[in-house]
Amino acid sequence: MKIKQACYLLLAVTLMIVTAEYYQSKPRPTALNGFSAPFVYGQFTTPQNNPLTNEAVALGRRLFYDPLLSGNNKLACSHCHQQKLAFTDGMKNSMGVSLKPLSFNTPSLVNLMWGPQHFFWDGRVNSLEEQALLPIINVDEMDQNLDELIDELKAVEQYQRLFSKAYGAINKQNIAKALSAFQRTLISANSKYDQFLAGTIKLTDEEEFGRKLFVAHPDVKASLRGGNCIDCHSQFLTSGFNTKYDGFTNNGLDNEEQLLPGLQAVTGKPEHKGLFKVPSLRNIALTAPYMHDGRFNTLAQVMDHYNEGIKLSSTLSPLIVEANNIVNGNKKKPSLNLSMEEKKAIVAFLHTLTDEQFIINTKFSDPFLQEIKIE
Amino acid sequence: MKSYLSITKYTILVCTALLITACSKEPVKQPDSEKSQALVLLRGLPTLDTKHSVAIIELDPESAKFGEILQDYELSNLAEPLHHLYYSPTGRLYATGLDINCSLAEIKLVRDLNGAPLIKGHHCLDTQGQVIGEDIMWHTSNGKEYMFVTFMGGGGLDQADGGSVGVFDPQTNDVVKIISARKSQVDAGKPYIMYPHGISAYKDRMVIASTIHPDLKTGVGSTITIIDLNSLSPIETITVEDAKPVGFPSSPVEVLFVRPSIVENVKPGVLVNTMFGFETWYIPFNEADKTFAEPVKIYNGVDEGTGVPLEFYGTKDELFISHAIPGVVKRYKLSSLPELVSSGPDIKAELGAHHMIFYPSSSGRKLIAVQNNLLNLGNQADNDPTDIDFIAKVNDHSLTIHDLTSSKRLKTINFKEKYNKGIENIEALFGSGFIHHH
Ligand code: HEC
Ligand code: HEC
Repeated sequence: MKIKQACYLLLAVTLMIVTAEYYQSKPRPTALNGFSAPFVYGQFTTPQNNPLTNEAVALGRRLFYDPLLSGNNKLACSHCHQQKLAFTDGMKNSMGVSLKPLSFNTPSLVNLMWGPQHFFWDGRVNSLEEQALLPIINVDEMDQNLDELIDELKAVEQYQRLFSKAYGAINKQNIAKALSAFQRTLISANSKYDQFLAGTIKLTDEEEFGRKLFVAHPDVKASLRGGNCIDCHSQFLTSGFNTKYDGFTNNGLDNEEQLLPGLQAVTGKPEHKGLFKVPSLRNIALTAPYMHDGRFNTLAQVMDHYNEGIKLSSTLSPLIVEANNIVNGNKKKPSLNLSMEEKKAIVAFLHTLTDEQFIINTKFSDPFLQEIKIE
Repeated sequence: MKSYLSITKYTILVCTALLITACSKEPVKQPDSEKSQALVLLRGLPTLDTKHSVAIIELDPESAKFGEILQDYELSNLAEPLHHLYYSPTGRLYATGLDINCSLAEIKLVRDLNGAPLIKGHHCLDTQGQVIGEDIMWHTSNGKEYMFVTFMGGGGLDQADGGSVGVFDPQTNDVVKIISARKSQVDAGKPYIMYPHGISAYKDRMVIASTIHPDLKTGVGSTITIIDLNSLSPIETITVEDAKPVGFPSSPVEVLFVRPSIVENVKPGVLVNTMFGFETWYIPFNEADKTFAEPVKIYNGVDEGTGVPLEFYGTKDELFISHAIPGVVKRYKLSSLPELVSSGPDIKAELGAHHMIFYPSSSGRKLIAVQNNLLNLGNQADNDPTDIDFIAKVNDHSLTIHDLTSSKRLKTINFKEKYNKGIENIEALFGSGFIHHH
């Protein structure tokens, strides 16, 4: 009898300790407040083990803007991904701590939950979590040893608090998760185009003309003129499609000899040579220079490329070859054959993709600056 | 000692319970694919004490949630339900309505934190007094895009020959023009618009069908009317009728302007289903001089054992026509139009076979869901005052789900049994569904 009671008691005490511990250490993050996204952007998912919570996003935002993440403690993610430029840096080739020009142009960070869920220009990582630590350890970007970074973060009281509220431990996985959670909230959905889609404003005649061209496949027989852009840049998001590698194509920037591996570097398939991620065109007027190597400085140059600068190669998208606004177009020299006026109208439409609120939204801005202001 | 033991036991119990709740409070669940989800308009049934609503429902037979209503957005201030759902080309969701105070509405959809669709609100639009909204289509007139809506009741139910087509600014939803031409107010032999329902268009010609007075007793139509989209006015009324199998006028209901954008290289022409004629007619269109030839009967329900043909829906390669009696959807080769050449066995739905959607299951199986209800009026057996005998019989209140390849039925959801509601209309979530409807 005594032994049985003692056993019960022991069990009770153990359970109490375990439970108390559980409740104390296990963070209780709260579902992100005020979230809403446009219906037409489509379905999205977040990783089961990294839901959008207020705590994760707050932590991620701080990390994103903290130069502590770099080896010399001088350069944050926001060095290359600046809010006022829709999270790009305006450089042809970005430079990190090594001051060596990077081989790729910095892409905008926007509406990342939609579009291709393979990141970087060549799609070499499959989630934001997987991506987040790569710039930190890259010697030419932030050049930071991760164990050192963890020690540095552990030494900051605020990080102890933020991590314990959001995830628990300060470790690699949780750094990556927090950065990803913050980046997932970078939703741009209040451009002039969005307001047009919601029916609250009208586009000017030129912008509307450009919108029609943007969404139309040219059909010479039906005398329908078009720019064919939504064959690759989807109608609402303006990004590539999200199924598998559908959002990667070769849009004719280079001929066979100059073609970089692109997606082929990831899949090894020859038919993927020179395929790059179709980027979102949201805030495109703010994110010059353009293309994976920043080769074009203006949207007019981009239009000239699609209209008369297409280079032939074995993997050039057939969608580009087929789209033509004149009868019997020369397949050896693909061109949209748009007029000056039509090209200008498409550029006018591209300007409606600028979201003035997105680039000043304080939810996305540097928390350190806000703290200084409050002090 | 006894109480001591019970405290220990109690502690164990509480701790265990707490641990269980701690474990179950894991992060938000991931959504299922929404390709198999649909929007439905539901009618509250007066004798069953339910409210009209717009709902999102799961229709994947392979899902554990099959038949489940994921969100039921009640329209508690409406005496009559919303009638038909349509997406605009820019992804806005609209519904026509049977309530005198809500003949046309825009429904606000957003996405929640899980990426799932959420019905956030609705607002009834000013129709300048036009009532009983039926069909909507977006089309251009003089290079400008408009939203066209047929109002079967026109300026009011007291008009014995009412009916109009509302032309709306697709951005602001403002009325640009009400096209109306009541038979009693135009000279004899001149084109008129009466009880318009079906609508379709090709280039600068729009066609609307004259169906039935919304009170279902004042009058029945037998014509289609052509509208010139340059002037936004009716230019010709064509009778589409011969035999009267049930003694009523033919009651043309849905129309489809068959055109090259639907069927490659086709000579354009208009298909018309006559609700009480039980027929499908074809009216050839001469593009050169913009004239319509004599209507030709291409399907006779009396010979085929079908009645009350209703909708036209198209996929990439097939045309589907629903027949409320006996409740079948017939399928034809799109490429053979305007001839109706069968492309597969009948889809055996239920009495009232009406609207439909096309969608994939999670394993990629191609499916069709058919909504079986002519009109969701009540049944006399329920002591329902809205009962109209003939129509109550063609109301199964169900959705039947079939394999699109074999036409075989896989599942049935009876809304009256399951939710105490009728089902008025079905539409897939944006991005899937059908290709040609108008
Ligand atoms: C030195 C400049 C620089 C810094 C610092 C930097 N990035 Fe980038 N970022 C780039 C460049 C350049 C690319 C494109 C590289 C490529 O595609 O190979 C990129 C790509 C990305 C992408 C992929 C976007 C897409 O659509 O595929 C994400 C996400 C991203 N960075 C997040 C971050 C985060 C988080 C940090 C901080 C931990 C960070 N970046 C720091 C320059 C930088
Ligand atoms: C065949 C698919 C395809 C079509 C069609 C297409 N694009 Fe692109 N677009 C791409 C790809 C892929 C890239 C990125 C290419 C790269 O950098 O290697 C891109 C890049 C761009 C960029 C630069 C984005 C940036 O952030 O640097 C702009 C601007 C652009 N496209 C506009 C358009 C317009 C306007 C049209 C229609 C006239 C159009 N595109 C048609 C695939 C396409």
